Amino acid sequence: MLKGWPQHLRALGAIFRKDLQVFMSYPVNAVMRILEPLMWMTPVYFMARSFAVDGVNIGLRAYTGTTDYVAFFVLGAAISSYVSAVFWGMGFALKNEMDTGVLESNWLTPAPLLVQMLGRSLFSLFLTTVNMLMIGCCVWLLFGFEFTGRVLPALLTVAPLLVALYGFGLGLAGVVLITNNANNIIDLVSNNITILSGAHFPVTVLPRPLLAISLALPLTYAYDAVRGQLLGTTTLMPIAMAQAILVAFMFVTVTAGLIVFGRIQDRCRQMGTLAHH
Amino acid sequence: MDEASGMHYWRAVMAVAKRWLTTYIRYPTWVISVLLWPVLFPFGYVFSMRALAGPTGEALSSFAQLAGTTDYVTFLVTGTTFWMWFNIMLWGLGGSFRMEQLRGTLESNWLAPLPKTFLAVGVFLAEALMGLVQLSMSMLTIALVYGVRLAGSPWALLSLILISIPSIYGTGLIFASLVLVAKEINGLIFFVRGLITVFCGVTYPIAVLPGWMQSVSRVLPLSHSVSAVRAVLAGGGFGTIAGQLRYLAVSGAVLMALGFLAYAIIQRRMLHAGTLGQH
Repeated sequence: MLKGWPQHLRALGAIFRKDLQVFMSYPVNAVMRILEPLMWMTPVYFMARSFAVDGVNIGLRAYTGTTDYVAFFVLGAAISSYVSAVFWGMGFALKNEMDTGVLESNWLTPAPLLVQMLGRSLFSLFLTTVNMLMIGCCVWLLFGFEFTGRVLPALLTVAPLLVALYGFGLGLAGVVLITNNANNIIDLVSNNITILSGAHFPVTVLPRPLLAISLALPLTYAYDAVRGQLLGTTTLMPIAMAQAILVAFMFVTVTAGLIVFGRIQDRCRQMGTLAHH
Repeated sequence: MDEASGMHYWRAVMAVAKRWLTTYIRYPTWVISVLLWPVLFPFGYVFSMRALAGPTGEALSSFAQLAGTTDYVTFLVTGTTFWMWFNIMLWGLGGSFRMEQLRGTLESNWLAPLPKTFLAVGVFLAEALMGLVQLSMSMLTIALVYGVRLAGSPWALLSLILISIPSIYGTGLIFASLVLVAKEINGLIFFVRGLITVFCGVTYPIAVLPGWMQSVSRVLPLSHSVSAVRAVLAGGGFGTIAGQLRYLAVSGAVLMALGFLAYAIIQRRMLHAGTLGQH
């Protein structure tokens, strides 16, 4: 049995190296990690231009206080990419292992499942960080944007969110184990939660019922607070209050995610459905 | 091919199509892609546009000058519905051979004593059928949720959809063959659909693009499909979209031929190199 953190760290390192090796074996994928977000940014830039009056987005200014839609979108995309990295890193990796028939044998290793799940998202997070920095530079050069606030306080605001996402990602991985299908579920959850939370627009444009849902999602306050800190946009509530919500969210989701994943894992073992796909 | 081998060939084609459809329906989450995605996908764009238009629509006049309409919701969901059709085709048809390669069944299927196109034709038939079902359901759901109405000729719309099939699935066959060589699907799909998003005027009027980008846009068949659907929804008929129908018919024939040619070339190349089972 693997016991203690040194062994766990070795297991994490091994999973990271394995993922890195797989990633480097597909060079097209590596190139596309840079190109694809730029391709998503380009329509956003042109969409904003098609609504610009004399080159200024006066409509957006009326809602948020800023006319810089590219900066507004870039910040939303940066946070969303971490949401996506954790969700896909865990759920999709499970599905891949199901398809290639190695899930059972991996689960037979003495490395705890939680360590394995964490390991699956580590490379994804690393890649996302490198990716975001490179894309940020490219978008700045191509389309231009400006942050008026300080970056460090904004990073501290999103730190508890990242931990909270792991809890959510664990629960989602459990659902993938039951349904044997990852793409639709992860796409649906990851995309729509981020969109409803205001990844692309100020949530104040939503109709009342959707606004109520949006305000119930802690992710909304992450987007809102970070934009408030870096762009000086009008925020939904004082930033300190948004930060407190994110810390509370972290404790709740991690606990819930561990419980859900543990129960589903036990059920799969009892039913013997682990190798089904 | 004599009559008996022809029958064997078509039986194999139908078996591939049937297997594909069975596998597709086997995962209950397929309902999500048919019913929910067409509604949810434009969601972010619709509200982004609303934010850009402003609380009192103060920026709508700029959009109307470029798009010829202030109804940005219909403009957008038309583009996204066709984009989704193309995207689903890329994952389905484009990824079909790759999936067989990953599961280790491509080699054994290619050992069947039949022309190797039976796999491509079978998947194409199943995909085209499912694609049409999905498109119909998508149009129904966006009509219900976003209130999109058809003001033009329904026959023109139907003809336009049918005539778009060869260009869309021809591109898919070329794509599926390239995936076999690249041994990587995600990156290639992101690239192709990214190009479509940028150049085909899915979320914004093509008139906002610089001149060289508009030239690229005019070459892509999907730009013609999207602009023609918008014209029909706004009240147009066969006369309004005659140019687009002609372009789609010609480009569709060319792309289908290129699709089967690419499949044949890649197949020969992989058989010679012995790389069919590698992934």
